[in-house]
Amino acid sequence: MTALYVLDVPENTSVAKVAGEDATVTVNKIGPYFEITAEGPIVIDRRATGCRHAVWYSCVAGVGGGRITQHDKDALRVDPA
Amino acid sequence: MAELEHKVRGVDHAAFPTFDPAGTVRFYRDVLGFPVVHSICAAGWGPEDHPDFIHFFFDIGNDDRIAFFYYFGLEPQHAHARGDVYAGFGPEVPEFFVRSRHLAIHVEDDADLLEYRRRLDDSEWPVEMQIQHETIESIYTHDPNGYMVEFTRAMRPVTPQEDLDADLTIDALLDVVAEPDPSFGKLLARKAELIVERAADWEPARS
Repeated sequence: MTALYVLDVPENTSVAKVAGEDATVTVNKIGPYFEITAEGPIVIDRRATGCRHAVWYSCVAGVGGGRITQHDKDALRVDPA
Repeated sequence: MAELEHKVRGVDHAAFPTFDPAGTVRFYRDVLGFPVVHSICAAGWGPEDHPDFIHFFFDIGNDDRIAFFYYFGLEPQHAHARGDVYAGFGPEVPEFFVRSRHLAIHVEDDADLLEYRRRLDDSEWPVEMQIQHETIESIYTHDPNGYMVEFTRAMRPVTPQEDLDADLTIDALLDVVAEPDPSFGKLLARKAELIVERAADWEPARS
């Protein structure tokens, strides 16, 4: 299970929303964090989130069960360990 | 860990040397409009051949102050073109590192940020960058001494959950730097563990 944690603040809500549009991805809350989980990879398109770069590059709070394999101007991708 | 009562009251003063008191006064008093609020004229004394000096202070708001030392007869202490008069850097030092140490002065809102932008842009020290960061917007310039000065405003109030997030970040960072080869990836993995352990039971502090 791959888990991506994103703090629920106004700048980050679109990250969780875009992540959840993938049918293989589940978005829950754990305290004030979005817990974004999937059996496989989690891929989020930056342009779809509308995040400016400073927000985009600081939106990840934690990664469980996998690791970030892409985090650039195009996408954030977390692959299973 | 016992809570230590938080009794401090902001910045009394942050002090920097200057070799250009005229430019420094023009920048802080005449361009930015920071009042001169204190000065000390001191004859050199002590065991180190301390030069005579003037120590002068500008109000940066909130009763906080920025202060300068001007030492009579003192020559510049380094010959580097990069950095500031206190610390110089050679070409091998990356720019992000040179810029990492700076003073950021808080302003109330967008209108005040733009007011200081206008004052600087009308001067010899125009704004070099205006950037929207994560939750703050900032302008930057360098003062006549080469010190990087930032003015910043909050784009929204800080939320309580950001305090929790900061605590988890610091605890994760301390765990990761206690081990060999700390990395961002290791920090995010450790922080995920702390989120699972602690975030579910978190409740915003009642003020």
